[in-house]
Amino acid sequence: MIPDAEKLFSASTEWKSIRVNTLKIGRDELLERLSEKFEVREMPWYENGFFIKGDITKSLEYYLGYYHVQEAGSMLPPLVMLPDKNDCIIDICAAPGSKTTQMAMMMENEGIIFANDVNSKRLRALAHNIQKCGVVNCIILNHDGRFLWKKGIKGDKILLDAPCTASGKIIKNKNMTWSYGRVIRMSKLQKRLIESASKCLIDGGTLVYSTCSLEPEENEEVIDYAIKNLNMEVEKIELVGIKTRRGIKRWGDKEYEGAEKAIRIWPQDNLTEGFFICKLRKY
Amino acid sequence: MQIKKILNEKEIRDIEKLIEKNYGCKINLGKYKVFKTGEEKIWIVEKGVDMELCKKLRCYAMGMYFGKLKRNNKIKLSMEGAMMIGKIAKKNVAVIDEGEGMKFIEGENVIASKLIGCEQNNFVIIKMNEDILGVGILRENFIENLVPKARRINF
Ligand SMILES: C[S@@+](CC[C@H](N)C(=O)[O-])C[C@H]1O[C@@H](n2cnc3c(N)ncnc32)[C@H](O)[C@@H]1O
Repeated sequence: MIPDAEKLFSASTEWKSIRVNTLKIGRDELLERLSEKFEVREMPWYENGFFIKGDITKSLEYYLGYYHVQEAGSMLPPLVMLPDKNDCIIDICAAPGSKTTQMAMMMENEGIIFANDVNSKRLRALAHNIQKCGVVNCIILNHDGRFLWKKGIKGDKILLDAPCTASGKIIKNKNMTWSYGRVIRMSKLQKRLIESASKCLIDGGTLVYSTCSLEPEENEEVIDYAIKNLNMEVEKIELVGIKTRRGIKRWGDKEYEGAEKAIRIWPQDNLTEGFFICKLRKY
Repeated sequence: MQIKKILNEKEIRDIEKLIEKNYGCKINLGKYKVFKTGEEKIWIVEKGVDMELCKKLRCYAMGMYFGKLKRNNKIKLSMEGAMMIGKIAKKNVAVIDEGEGMKFIEGENVIASKLIGCEQNNFVIIKMNEDILGVGILRENFIENLVPKARRINF
């Protein structure tokens, strides 16, 4: 049990997080504008992230697409990936596009991002966000990620922000339900997705795997599977300004390879949603 | 997404000329690939995109919606298209004050405090301080709001 859980819930729901859209406005200019209207705190782990108190979806700057509302932990996988202007990136599970649009801005709208999602309803939100952020380097695809490798696209870098049970969102939603059966079903899907991702990746390319779930079956177990079956090795992650913990090495009678280099962000450590992130390289 | 035509250099230049005619400024669309979909909609996408590969994929959308070509050599810019052009536009710009600006964001018709080279019944770029809020149509006594429903905000 997490001590002071109630305080944690209220603090995390009172402060919303946003990401500056540097494709449309400079970071300092937005900070100045928002500070006149809201209480603003800078995010210690990302210069383009702010915490804001107030109704952030009702401002002129929001209307203009000068910022994107994005959970603070969700800004980390692109920071681990470090997309570059010359990259071809495949974002296999992209909707509604928080990380896609963040990567596009990190690439300064150059290079290419294939932003894919299987769910055609969620693609609308993805397309809306890509347009609103003024992104020109994205191609939105509608394929089942498990079979994307058959389509002949190859990425220098791949983001697999996998579908998950989202148990890390517990900090924002006390009423969520949990079932072990769902965890196991997700774990199977995640392994199929990471297998397809590895086939879409060039040799020497980087794959960032992330979920907002806290379950080892959806995280360390998927990494262990990739290391043992998909010619992938785990790389160290360097993030500053945020408390991270290592992946879980032992869970019940299982022992996971690669867990020591993966990171976990626990909700109680930084008042963010829980996140798991691992960086892998294909050899 | 059904791509109707990938524009060649001349066709891209024609769109640049159309922008110059309507908004009095030069832009360089040549740094993008530019293509048309149904209803004369114009899109721009990063130049490095392999359009042939994309044809083999189930592509929902590509790049950014720039605007829609209209009769009589006019163009209805998207909000992002207007933002690209608005900062350098020299005509067909309607300046509105903050009170009207908030109404505009909510989807209401507004009244301009200053019209810069605006033509009746043409698409005008709406400017408030240094921000470009989108486009509208200049009518006799007001500006007709063209902010898409999904982008409006109710304060
Ligand atoms: C955690 S969400 C992605 C969030 C997104 N990356 C962002 O930052 O906004 C997971 C996504 O995976 C998609 N998904 C589920 N199964 C999939 C599959 N087999 N292939 C591709 N996408 C899938 C879901 O529709 C959902 O949009």
